[in-house]
Parts: sequence; structure tokens; C-alpha cells
Amino acid sequence: MSRLSHRIGFGPRPGEFERILSLGFDRASKELLSAVSTYNPDQARALGLSDLGTQPKPNTPEIVEYAEKKRFQLRTMTLWWLDQMVELSNPFIERMTWFWHGHWATSYAKVDEPLVMFEHVNKLRKNAIGNFEAMSRDMVLDGALIFWLDGQRNTALAPNENLSRELMELFILGVNRYTESDVKETAKALTGYKVQKSSGLVTRNVKQVHKGAISFLGTSGSFDALSLTEFLVKRSDCQRFIPERLFYRFVTSNAVLDGNSRIEGAFSSREILPTIQALVASSYFQAPENSQVRSPIEWLIGILRAIRVTPSKFERPDYLINLLNGLGQRPFFPPNVGGWPADEAWLSAASTQTRISAAEYLMKQGDLSPISQLPQSARVDGLANWLGISSWSERTKLAFSGAIKDPQRLAVLAVCSPEYLVNA
Amino acid sequence: MDTMTRRKFIQMTGAGAMATAAHSLSIEEIADAAITRPLPLGTPILVVVTLYGGNDGLNTVVPFQDPIYHSLRPQLAYAESEVIPIGDGLALNGAMTGFKSLWDKQQLAIIRGVGYPNPDRSHFSSMAIWQSAELNASKSGWLGRWVETQQEDPLLAISLGSVLPPLLAGNRRSGSVLPLGGFKVPGGSLASDCAKLSISSAEDNRLTAIAARSMRNLFEVSGQVTPILKEPAPPANDLPTAVGGNAGGDSNLSAQLEIVAKLIAAGSPTKVWSVSLGGFDTHADEHTAQSRLLGALSQSISKFMSQMRATNRSKDVTVLVYSEFGRRVRANASQGTDHGTSGPVFLLGERVIGGFHGDQPSLNDLEDDDLATTTDFRDIYAEVLGKVLLTDGEQVLTKWKSKLDLIN
Repeated sequence: MSRLSHRIGFGPRPGEFERILSLGFDRASKELLSAVSTYNPDQARALGLSDLGTQPKPNTPEIVEYAEKKRFQLRTMTLWWLDQMVELSNPFIERMTWFWHGHWATSYAKVDEPLVMFEHVNKLRKNAIGNFEAMSRDMVLDGALIFWLDGQRNTALAPNENLSRELMELFILGVNRYTESDVKETAKALTGYKVQKSSGLVTRNVKQVHKGAISFLGTSGSFDALSLTEFLVKRSDCQRFIPERLFYRFVTSNAVLDGNSRIEGAFSSREILPTIQALVASSYFQAPENSQVRSPIEWLIGILRAIRVTPSKFERPDYLINLLNGLGQRPFFPPNVGGWPADEAWLSAASTQTRISAAEYLMKQGDLSPISQLPQSARVDGLANWLGISSWSERTKLAFSGAIKDPQRLAVLAVCSPEYLVNA
Repeated sequence: MDTMTRRKFIQMTGAGAMATAAHSLSIEEIADAAITRPLPLGTPILVVVTLYGGNDGLNTVVPFQDPIYHSLRPQLAYAESEVIPIGDGLALNGAMTGFKSLWDKQQLAIIRGVGYPNPDRSHFSSMAIWQSAELNASKSGWLGRWVETQQEDPLLAISLGSVLPPLLAGNRRSGSVLPLGGFKVPGGSLASDCAKLSISSAEDNRLTAIAARSMRNLFEVSGQVTPILKEPAPPANDLPTAVGGNAGGDSNLSAQLEIVAKLIAAGSPTKVWSVSLGGFDTHADEHTAQSRLLGALSQSISKFMSQMRATNRSKDVTVLVYSEFGRRVRANASQGTDHGTSGPVFLLGERVIGGFHGDQPSLNDLEDDDLATTTDFRDIYAEVLGKVLLTDGEQVLTKWKSKLDLIN
């Protein structure tokens, strides 16, 4: 049940864990997996994100205003996303959007346009539990993704293979399910696409488009970005790859999903929701060995949900963004096109110190009434229910025992404990 | 954590609350061991520099006299006047003046055409192969496996940054991570409460055990390291100020190496350091970007070597520089290069056998438009394991013996 709460959602808000416990696994998973889409095509405008135009020249009064607007818009959209993760009683759609953000990992560090970056993620939100082919079609013509992978530099004269390689390796098929010649050939199908940087508008310059047929993966013909994507998504390797990636992020990074026919079958028409449902219903999801380290965003959002802090209304919202940055997982800034690491990578002495000081600060600001209202004798169990933990080790109970009178200290210890850092 | 707090921490975990002596022993043990036991002088030290993104070897060690080089890279090739010739028709990138002075002192070994069979052009797969030293890229890193051949010590192998590179991840034990900003650990009763969380438990699974250990390492590593970081760095006496200056802008690599220099000078019992520099994935506009990075690499390493000379450990330190692959010989239309195959690896230090090693892959004889591999990277690792880490390479690299002689 702890896995449901933390992997399908972002951890319980007060009272939620007891409630799903009372429902039992099947009813709880059914409920958690039936979230209604939160996608709003006009969300960017609602947040005041706008095309900021060409960057003014250095050392002009205009550039100061431009830079401030840019920073403000990036901050607005980041806090809005964190708010969604924290505030939605069922955040499954945002959980899936987050997963896809790490899958089609595109970073603001290069895109450098708030509106374009937001629209990229909002397309992932639109398709988060929908159809993977529709998502892939949106992505291959997405301004942020093309710009990120130098697609706008790819011309018939000398193709740039960055996008074509990652499209097959990381996005649709999986590594080594194509040859080097396939990379070179498919790059030709992706020639001529141009991105207008500040708006993300994608057009095609016919003069730079490769003319003629290409041969790859046992086929040949004339292809463009969309027909290439459709072809790749239809391949059986895609049917293996996406379930593998879901397994990696939602079950374990320590094993590979090995041709499970039920889960792959659920993805036969490239529908994402039934695939997740099959994964959650599979024995893998509950197998004891498949514990997972909570990534920084999961750790922080889990805490904010428990202590009822809304990021944008927090006394120092920028603290939260800097904290995620310091822990190595700031939204809109994946470290590279492979997305964020998993498991052990998050467990360093360096991140431990950051988590301890952050926990100390956050617990001073948050609502600890679910613990402070309890008699001391009920606090250890209360902490488990509050945070959605199935049980504490004797070691951690011993650490609690010295702090039982102090709800703030208890809360700090609980979220820094091995049982909270690892979703057992 | 100051000494007082740290002593309190040990007391708190060793006695008092910890009636279960068997559990607390491990913390005490590590803490006691870490208080004062400097690395004996003369113990070899390895510094690994990972260049992320795939460094373009042909514009690093440049075949500037080869007409094919110029014809395949009309806008990306360097002319003779832009590079630093070092013989054999090859030249260092013009930004690498620091490497040139080490070359002249016979302290730079350039191993050419390094790679592995059936090159993988994926950043992630290829880096996993380089870091694991296994062609099927297992989860453990080659230096992580080396850590496991040694006595457990959180200070033995340290990576600078915030995330542990796979390089240092073992199957059961791993190296430690040291943040650039240094540690700020809790004091007082929070420290002792956190110390309790760091005790290993019979109920732990693999990951919760690692989580508990990361807490333990925090107290351990920081206790050793924090006072040292407050000290000034060793001077770089024999460098002209122009080289030591900040003409090219400070880079993160120089900050990482500055910390390594301080800790080596202070006698940290660390035998392996891992630092990195990213940004080598130059699909577009390669010239400026790559020479800026190579300049930072060359400048910060030559400064580091100079700092080592100001300590009495300059003979002990060997630096290894590698990247996950080289780049395509032919430039693309964006004045950049796509993913390729083999590339040069650098070894630096007073003990290395300076000069060229391995054959330069011929531009006449490309394999599928890419450079051939003339040296297997595991030969270099085996040499480093044997001669720097004094470990039988076969313990770490499955049945691999070096065919090279790179280090005295």
C-alpha cells in the first residue's frame, strides 16, 4: 500500500494513508489509477507565460526587463507545477507527467524559453495516460525537443544525428534495437525542421529537406518526422521498450522487465493507462525485493503533502526550487537527455546533509498537528500513517524514542530515516 | 562539525543511548580510524577526470598535416598556426598550453585510438562501458569493484559533486561523494539522533542499508574534511601567473581539483579521486565550445600538478583523463560533429612514461566512416590498477592483462 501511495501518487496527505489502507489494495489502486486529466490547453496563458521575443542586445535597458520577465515566468511555471503535485488529492496525472518529463528529457538549460519549455511539458500532460503514438507525434514536432537535440541544425547537406539517435535509443525503441546505419538514414527524415526559438513554432524549410527514399530497419521509402515516428512506434521493440521504462521507474531499476506478455500485451495499441494498470496488478509491483530510493522530487513533495505546505504560498518559495536544484532534481532541468538517475545515486553523504537541514527548516514551517495531537505512546505509529510508511525498523524506533516529546524533531528524523528514503 | 561536537557524537553513539554495543561498534570503529591516519607518503594516488559528452579526439590531438583531416572537416579543421605541434604529425589543441609544458617535461602520456570492440555510440551505453569496464556494462563501476577489494573506509575513494558516479559504485560498497561547498552537518542532539538512524539494522534491505550508510559517511567524511577545507590551497609556485590566472574564466573542474589538492596536501587517506567536466557533446558550433573546455581542462590540471609539486606528494599522483567516445571524422552541417568511436586518453604525472602510446588511427582506413580502435581502454585500466593502485587488475577487470607499459 505504501508503494501505491508513493509511486502512483506523491505520498499521502494527512488521513489519506489510513483511508486507502481501509480500502484494500485492489480498490485503492483502482481509485488512484482513475484520476481525471488536469490538462488545460490554455494553461500557459493562464499563468501569464508569453513569447518574450528576440533577446535584446547586451548592456541595454531592454535586456534587464527581458531577463526579469524570463526569470519570473520560469519561477511561476515551476511553482505552479510543484503546487499541482502537492495540492491534487489524486496527483496521478502529474506523477505520469513527471515520468514522461524524465523520459523525453529536455532541459530549460538549453531551450531557455519559459513558454516553449512549459508547452513541451504540457503536451506530456495532455498525453500522460493516453496514447503513446499521439504523444510521440506531439514530441517529434515539439519546438523545445527539436531545439534541445539540434534538430534545427539537421539539413540534407550534412545531417545532424542527435535527434534521430535519441528518438530510437531513448524515446521509442531502446538502445541497440537499431543499427548505426539506421541512425544515419533516419536523420535524413528529420532534416529541414526549423524552430522559432521564442515561440517554439516549428516549420520546415523545403530547401534543406533530404530528397528521396531512405532505407532503415528493413524498410525503405520517403519519410518525414511524423511518418517516421509512426513507423517506429508501431515496431514491436516499442511495445517492449515503454513497458521496460515504466518498470524501471515504477518497480525497480535493479532488474529488467523480461518480456512479460501481459504487460506488453496491455501496450499493444500503445495505450498508456492499461499498461500502468497491468504493471500495478502484476506480482512485480508488490514483490519485496523491488524497493526503490525516493528521488529528491518524490522526497520533497511527499513532505510538503504531509505538512500541508503549498509551494507558491510558502514563505520562501525560491528556497524550495534551490533545494531541488541542490539535490540534483529541479523540474524542467533534467541533467541530460537520459533523464534523472535512480536509486543509489541519490544516497550520498552530500545529499544526506542537504536533506537533514532542509527537513529541519521545513518542519518548522509546516503543520505537524497530525503528530503533535497524538499522545506520545501513539506517535511512532502515527508517523508511519502520516507519511505512508508500512513499518519502522527497530533502529529508527530507537532514534524516535529519544525525541518522542518533540513532534518537530520526530518529523525531521522520520523523513531522514532509511525507511522514508527508500520506498520498501 | 567541530571536534567537540564530533567527539560528542561518538560518545553519544558509543555509549548512553546505544546499549546495543554490536551495532554502535561500526560507527566508533570508523570514527576512530578516521581521526588521524594520514595516507603514508609515497602511497600512489589516482585522480580520474571524466569528460562527459564525448570529446572530439581529432580536434584535441590534431592530425593537422593530414590532408584527409582538412578535406573531411573543411570548416572545423585547425590550421598549423592554430595548434601546438608535438611530433608525429600531431598537435595539441591550441588551448592546451598547460598540457604542452607537461609534455615537454615527459609527464604526459597520450594513448591514441582508445576504445573497445563494436563501439556503442550512445552516450549512456558507452559511458556505462567505460565506467564499468565491461562490454555488457554491469551496474558496478571498475573503481567501485576496486573499493571492494580494499578494507572498508569511506574516505578511500571520493567523488566531487552531489551524485555518485557509477564509476565508484560497487556491488556492496561504494566510494563517497563530497559536495563542492563542503559539509555542514548538524550538531548537538540532532547529530546524535541522526547517528542512531545511521546504524545498520537486521531489517535492512540492500537500499535501506545504503541509506543508513550514507548517513554514517556524512559524519565520517565531514569530520575529516571540514577543517581541511578551511585551510588555504597549496601554492602553485612554478607556474607563471598568466597561466594560473583566470583569463579563461573559472571552471567547475578547477574548483573540484582545488579541493582535491587541499585534501591530498592534508594527507587524506584517499587513494582515488573522481572529478568531471561536462559539455563535450559538440553537435554544433564545436570550435569555441571545445577549445574553451580543453583550455579549462589543461589549465586546471597543470595548476593541480603544480600544487602537487608544492607538497611532497607530486611523485605519488597520477591523473587519468578519458571520455565516453570520440566523434565522427566528418563534420556535420552545424560546424559540429556527431557521435564517433575511439579517442585519445591522457595519463599525467611524474611516474608516467611521457610521449605517444598506441597507434594513431589512420584517416585512410576508416571503419564505417569512423576511426578504428587501436588500443583497448582496459589495457590502460589494468596498468593503472597494477602500478597506481597496486592491485592485481584481474581482480577488478575480468581476465584482463595490460599489454601496455605506461607507468614507471
